[in-house]
Amino acid sequence: LTTEHFKQTTKESMPDTVVKYEVFLPGVSGTSMGKNITLDRASTIELSCRLDKKYSHLKSLQMTWKKGNETIGHSRTDENSWSIQLSIVNNSNLGSYSCTLKGEEEFSTTFRLQVPKIEGKEKPTISYEGDTAILTCKSSGYTPIVWTWYVTNGSEQIAINDTLLPDKYVINRVSANVTYLKILKVTKEDNGVYWCEAAFELGKSMGKLHLKVLSLLEPLKPFLAIVAEVIGLVTVIFLYEVYSKKKEKCAESEKEFDQIEQLRSEEINGLENSRSRH
Amino acid sequence: GRPPSAPPDGGWGWVVVLGAFVSIGFAYAFPKGLAIFFKEIQDFFGTSYSEIAWVSSIMLATTYGAGPISSILVNRYGSRPVVMFGGLLCGIGMVSAAFCTSILQLYICVGFVTGFGLSLNLQPSVIIIGKYFLKKRPIANGLAMAGSPVMLCTLAPLNQFLFDNFGWRGSFLILGAILLHCCVAGALFRPIGAATASVRPRLTEKRRDASQEKAMEMRSPTSVPVKNEMEDEGERDCCEKINQYLDFSLFKHRGFLIYLIGNVLMFLGFFAPIVFLAPYAKHIGIDEYSAAFLLSILAIVDMVARPATGIIANSKWVRPRIQYFFSFSIAFNGTCHLLCPLASGYTGLVVYSIFYGLAFGMVCAMLFETLMDLVGAARFTSAVGLVTIAECCTILLGPPIGGTLIDTFGDYKYMFIKCGAVMVLAGTFLFIMNYYNYHMLAKEEKERKSKEEDPTSVRTEKEGRNDLNKETALNGPELEPLREEQEALKKEANGT
Repeated sequence: LTTEHFKQTTKESMPDTVVKYEVFLPGVSGTSMGKNITLDRASTIELSCRLDKKYSHLKSLQMTWKKGNETIGHSRTDENSWSIQLSIVNNSNLGSYSCTLKGEEEFSTTFRLQVPKIEGKEKPTISYEGDTAILTCKSSGYTPIVWTWYVTNGSEQIAINDTLLPDKYVINRVSANVTYLKILKVTKEDNGVYWCEAAFELGKSMGKLHLKVLSLLEPLKPFLAIVAEVIGLVTVIFLYEVYSKKKEKCAESEKEFDQIEQLRSEEINGLENSRSRH
Repeated sequence: GRPPSAPPDGGWGWVVVLGAFVSIGFAYAFPKGLAIFFKEIQDFFGTSYSEIAWVSSIMLATTYGAGPISSILVNRYGSRPVVMFGGLLCGIGMVSAAFCTSILQLYICVGFVTGFGLSLNLQPSVIIIGKYFLKKRPIANGLAMAGSPVMLCTLAPLNQFLFDNFGWRGSFLILGAILLHCCVAGALFRPIGAATASVRPRLTEKRRDASQEKAMEMRSPTSVPVKNEMEDEGERDCCEKINQYLDFSLFKHRGFLIYLIGNVLMFLGFFAPIVFLAPYAKHIGIDEYSAAFLLSILAIVDMVARPATGIIANSKWVRPRIQYFFSFSIAFNGTCHLLCPLASGYTGLVVYSIFYGLAFGMVCAMLFETLMDLVGAARFTSAVGLVTIAECCTILLGPPIGGTLIDTFGDYKYMFIKCGAVMVLAGTFLFIMNYYNYHMLAKEEKERKSKEEDPTSVRTEKEGRNDLNKETALNGPELEPLREEQEALKKEANGT
């Protein structure tokens, strides 16, 4: 029935770039979908809620902006729009900001300010005992200040220090947005959950990765099964061929016998005919 | 010895088609299916994407480039041992690839060894169809070539499943075992006596066989003496020792040259659109899954189009003029590409995918059938080897040229226009040249017919045999394989 329109305009003015985020109201009645805003560094932003023109006839409208549950001040930019300007400098400035319009009907929407998310891998990375395992983490679009890797021991997260164990772990920052953790000479104990943490100016973000260590026997079983099946099929095919060739030979030798008989009778007939002619 | 028999056109032949289906399927689909592993391998070895893509290119290049070697081996040993050895080689290649520790080793194991094994699969499979089928050959070819899209649709999810459960190393190990099924396919390729590709001149045997033939033919006047082809080979070759292994005299064969030039030109624009279809879809704003779905649509239409084209090509209206049908399908393919830039949005691309799948299937189904039609089953062994090595260059050049066009102009439409133009040109060239070829063949047949009716002509070996033939119910000499088939078809038409 009702849809929300999102508009984002960037107003670039001198050193301060104020990014504007605007949401059209009404959203879906009651709680709305809101908007997720990703920020990685300190910046100034402006959030505004604009009332849809078809509702501009409503009177006695009361607009409230809240951070979490705390009310904050705002300014009315024009007849149908209310906005707040925020200076985001540290982690505590992030969170949920909501605007609620109370009148005959209530409209509400939420802006969620957050650090960039790091995507881990849903599916486990498979490695084999004795081999090297590589876990990669990528940050899309935003450059972290520093990357840290953690391994899960029970319920604890332990940071991986590659200088301490240089022949076991190697951490390398391939490019600004990509990091990898190389685990050398993998064993069954290395099985488990790993975390890569990207530290941004405004906070930290983690990605989850699974490492699954298999022994060489695991793929060997299906391999041997398939090889056995292939050998079986080839044997069956060759045996069938030998069998059908034998059958053919029997049938052929009978045929040849008949043919020789036929040739002989033809020769005899031919001789008789030539004799009768002369 | 056993008397030579006509291609069975059925019976065990259909089992051979099944084997060829598997074999050809692996040869074409396997390199494409490997793409799923590339991302992981790229991360593992820390290389760039283009270095990984070389694995596929080397594999493809070896599969096509080793064609002549494949042909020589088949000429010498027959299809069956070569395919079984090829399957074994593929298996060994992939199993050793599972233990590789550098990208160079991957190039060798996956690229060269497996690629060579696949080439030993591809050519013999196509060759043996020519030995088992004559009247129903287009259908057999169409069915066998359908193996490629079917295998691709099977391998893609299978590879994904293997990768999720075993990582790339375990997957390569298991894929090595799966490739051994080419050995099973090869085991099905029972050697058949007729139209052996061996070009050894056996003059003394010929005389003995000629009298035997006469006796046989009096009893079975409808048998097509395919063996006569072999005798012709012995007389026509100039450098018999080399031609024993690889028939270079094909370069004097008009039909072969036409086919070679036309096909080499066509392949410049054949594969590039498939490679760039998904990126183009993403470029115009379609999401990844829908873009991948376009390729699935293409594969499904392709799967159906190939046997259907085989059936159409086998019908008595199309078969004698199959070269025109082939040229038409190439031009049709080109027109699809030329119209693609006009396609707007997802629906347009779906329509394009359907038509492209159809055209792609039509061309592939008749790819080898037309070559067989031109040079005949006996010389086909060498012909296919020579053609594939020539096509190898343009196949490899096609996508990179397309890629360069896209990068230079920043627009995909020039790549489509280039591919479309090249293919329409190839189709037109083939059409005109085959018209000329059919014309020349008809002229030659008239000349031969008039020569044989002349009683004062010199009795060469050929004419001696021609007289033998006259005593049987056969009409006219069977010199050109093309005409031989037309005779066979005429007889079929007369009989029905």
